[in-house]
Amino acid sequence: MFRDGKDSLKRPRIKTVGAVLLALAGTLGVAFAILGQSSPGGPPNPPARLPHPAIPLLDEHGVNVLKSAGPISTRKTCGDCHDYDFIADSFHFQQGRTETDRKLLTAHGIAEYNTSPGMYGKFSILPNRQLTHLGITKPEDFDLSTPEWLTKCGVCHTGGGISEFDSENRKYGTAEASQTSPLDRDYNIRDAKTGQILPWDWNKSGTAEADCFLCHVPKADRGARKEAMAKGNFRWASNATLSESGIVTKDEKGGFAYTASAFKEDGTVKQEVLAISDPTIENCAQCHGFTARNATVIKPIQHADILRGTEKAGWIYNGAKISDTTSPIIAGREKMDFPWDAHAAKGLICIDCHFSPNNPGRMIQSDSEKNLRYKPGQNDIAVYLKRPDHNFARGNIPPETVNMTRHDTMRGCADCHEPEKGHAFLPYKSLHFKALACQTCHIPAVHFWAYRSDEWGALMDTGTSRITFRGIEGDIVDPSSVVTGYLPAYIPTKDADGRLRIRPTNLITGVYWFDKEKGRPVFTWQVQRAFFSGRDAEGAPIYRPEVLKAFADKDGFIDRPQAVYDRPEKIAVVRGLLQKFAGVTDPELRVEVAPWAMSHSIAGKDQAVKTCTACHQRDSMLRRPLDLDDALPDGVPVYYRGSQHAVVHHGKAGPVFDNRELLAGYYLVGHTRVAWIEWTGWLTVIGAVLFSLVHGALRIFGGK
Amino acid sequence: MDTRQPLYALHERVWHWLQAGALLLLILTGFALHYPIGFGLFGSLARAVSWHSWIGLFLVLNAFLGLFYHLTADKFHHYLPKMDDFTGGAIRQVRFYLYGIFKGEPHPFELDARHKLNPLQKLTYLALLNVLLPFQVVTGVLMWGADRWPDLFAKMGGARTLGPAHALGAFLFTAFLIVHLYLTTTGETPLSLLRAMITGCEASGRTEAQLDLARGEEPSPEVQEEIAPTPAPDV
Repeated sequence: MFRDGKDSLKRPRIKTVGAVLLALAGTLGVAFAILGQSSPGGPPNPPARLPHPAIPLLDEHGVNVLKSAGPISTRKTCGDCHDYDFIADSFHFQQGRTETDRKLLTAHGIAEYNTSPGMYGKFSILPNRQLTHLGITKPEDFDLSTPEWLTKCGVCHTGGGISEFDSENRKYGTAEASQTSPLDRDYNIRDAKTGQILPWDWNKSGTAEADCFLCHVPKADRGARKEAMAKGNFRWASNATLSESGIVTKDEKGGFAYTASAFKEDGTVKQEVLAISDPTIENCAQCHGFTARNATVIKPIQHADILRGTEKAGWIYNGAKISDTTSPIIAGREKMDFPWDAHAAKGLICIDCHFSPNNPGRMIQSDSEKNLRYKPGQNDIAVYLKRPDHNFARGNIPPETVNMTRHDTMRGCADCHEPEKGHAFLPYKSLHFKALACQTCHIPAVHFWAYRSDEWGALMDTGTSRITFRGIEGDIVDPSSVVTGYLPAYIPTKDADGRLRIRPTNLITGVYWFDKEKGRPVFTWQVQRAFFSGRDAEGAPIYRPEVLKAFADKDGFIDRPQAVYDRPEKIAVVRGLLQKFAGVTDPELRVEVAPWAMSHSIAGKDQAVKTCTACHQRDSMLRRPLDLDDALPDGVPVYYRGSQHAVVHHGKAGPVFDNRELLAGYYLVGHTRVAWIEWTGWLTVIGAVLFSLVHGALRIFGGK
Repeated sequence: MDTRQPLYALHERVWHWLQAGALLLLILTGFALHYPIGFGLFGSLARAVSWHSWIGLFLVLNAFLGLFYHLTADKFHHYLPKMDDFTGGAIRQVRFYLYGIFKGEPHPFELDARHKLNPLQKLTYLALLNVLLPFQVVTGVLMWGADRWPDLFAKMGGARTLGPAHALGAFLFTAFLIVHLYLTTTGETPLSLLRAMITGCEASGRTEAQLDLARGEEPSPEVQEEIAPTPAPDV
């Protein structure tokens, strides 16, 4: 078939359209380039992204919520295009629920009494709670149950997995889902006040499906989600997350009504209202720590929760300069004319390093095992869009152990930087890079406060733990408190290449009771029974007289300074009470020094440690004796990363971290002394001097 | 009769003082590395490392030059102890230092151009040059090459082994240097040995022939001729 003349006639028009498109593209390019420039005093703007297509919100039956008025089902709404079950089978949703291989757990140093490497199953000194084991037959073995875990931890652990399926993978609320024993952790909860174990009504609470909105909607409302989860209103949790978006409004019954103006005529939500996007740093910040592009006010406490990374290690991921901070009061901030985090100041966002492993735009396209710097044909955008891997690339620093088979998958420093080229001043580069993590020099100081201790071994009059902070003078919620920051301690951790490298860390010390007979930590409710005889009219716990006699000062109260085990008699009293009132036959007081290693609050080259003698001298920063607490019991077992280590030194100034044992394999020129070498060497030199002096003196006095 | 014995040639003296200076600087820079705060004489630690490495290289090269010279100029015998040096000679020298020197006894082994080291010195240098110096060179080079030959460095024990070993060697060198310096005062006068290493000559109360005889050695033909008794004139 011949083409008619229309084709030739079209060409000039195509050229014109092409020119217009090119001009438009050029204009857009310039516009984006301008947008990408650093605004005065702030990091560059993030690049523009294509908007997510408009979507309808569907309920669990796949019906548009505008029609059904039911809670949003992300399984139906998002799962229409994306593989919901694939996405939810990842550690943000499972938190160790599916990682129960004992061999792997042991290989990662996870104690026998833990059922998983994640927060759903791993004991931590901070909450001092333990997920109840499956198959228990005695009420005294019942502690944290799945429903209670969801009410307390479910705000961050984003639905799906734990909150949808029981231990036998039966969906809660369905006909086949029922408890397998009277003490099944998935179907019961221990009442905090009475101590009774009560059944949980999954039909009433509903399940909390994966809350995609928490991470993919800019105006996600974690506070509203927290409220819904805490009340056991799991069914509406995802709706609650949209409280700030203008799509829903809370009704009186705990449900949410839909705002018609947020929807288009075709029943889809207006794109600009839902604004689905890649997770922003604000999304991640809701749970992981204070994170902002350019904030002069640091708010590490949101919805009554201290943001996790900030509380545990004091890191602040913020592109603004510390000197520009207006609140809280940062000691010496006027001299800190540098950003809270060098990466934040350059506009990097969390997913730049902690990306979805199969995102073709971000994945590491190399294969070090096969010596390939670029490995083509790894993945396809369509595959990624359908099944985006939510086992986000992560590092491997303590205390995190979840997702055991995928540690060290994130983009490391050397994936972007070329350290060999950028450290001209540094002798023995390779040796230094083999021994030290980049963070060791690039986090010289932490300019914020962080947890110092959380002790559940002796309870305060609130019935909860004794908590102390480092890096602040005053209370963390008092705006007049001065944040002094702290200098980190240093520990060796294993890197992706199998090498132990020294890295900075915060240390949180816990004092807790261990049930030697049962081989597990004593549960908090048991410690409460030992310490308290009951509750007063207002519901406040009442200390037992034995406790008051042992701990209280002259005024008869047990305040923070007294709630410590500074005398063996206190230990003996509580041990007796645990045996008598909590049924713990062989309790042992333990100290645990838990590292929360640092990776954020990165200092740029001007602030990084460059002085050799910072490390290479007797008082090396690497041996810094970080203070651990006001007082710690002496002579009790001290645990560090799952096993006993001599990491506490009881000095005149109180208990401090002693990492001599941990760094015993390192030789630091200028710092390390081998005792017998020093003694032999100096005795030889002194002997030579003395011989010369005595011999010379005898010659002089003898006139020879 | 007071004579001045030619003891050290110019190139020997230059070589000695270069080695002495290098050794002193190595000890100082080494201490600056081992005790950075008390001995921060060289600015930064990195600079001390750099100095230490270059001076170490110089000392090793100079040592090889010395070895070459002593081998090719047939001077190696100065350093080779005889059997008697291990027993009687060493004992006589020790006795002198511990007793004889206080009694004003003459040196059991006075030095001259052909006998530059006493038995104790020979034994000391035997250990120093064959054991301690190579030990320091090997441990030092391995540490210097830690970045260049990391596997070898690790195989040899890494810094954990090599560092303390090198430090021990440095202490021993320091002790040697102190005693060596002190013993330079035990010559005819306190400064005579030092002067000899500067000027090349040592003031001695005895002639070369007397020294040979004192050592129990046969004087050289020239010396024999010199000291041959003059025949009594026929009367």
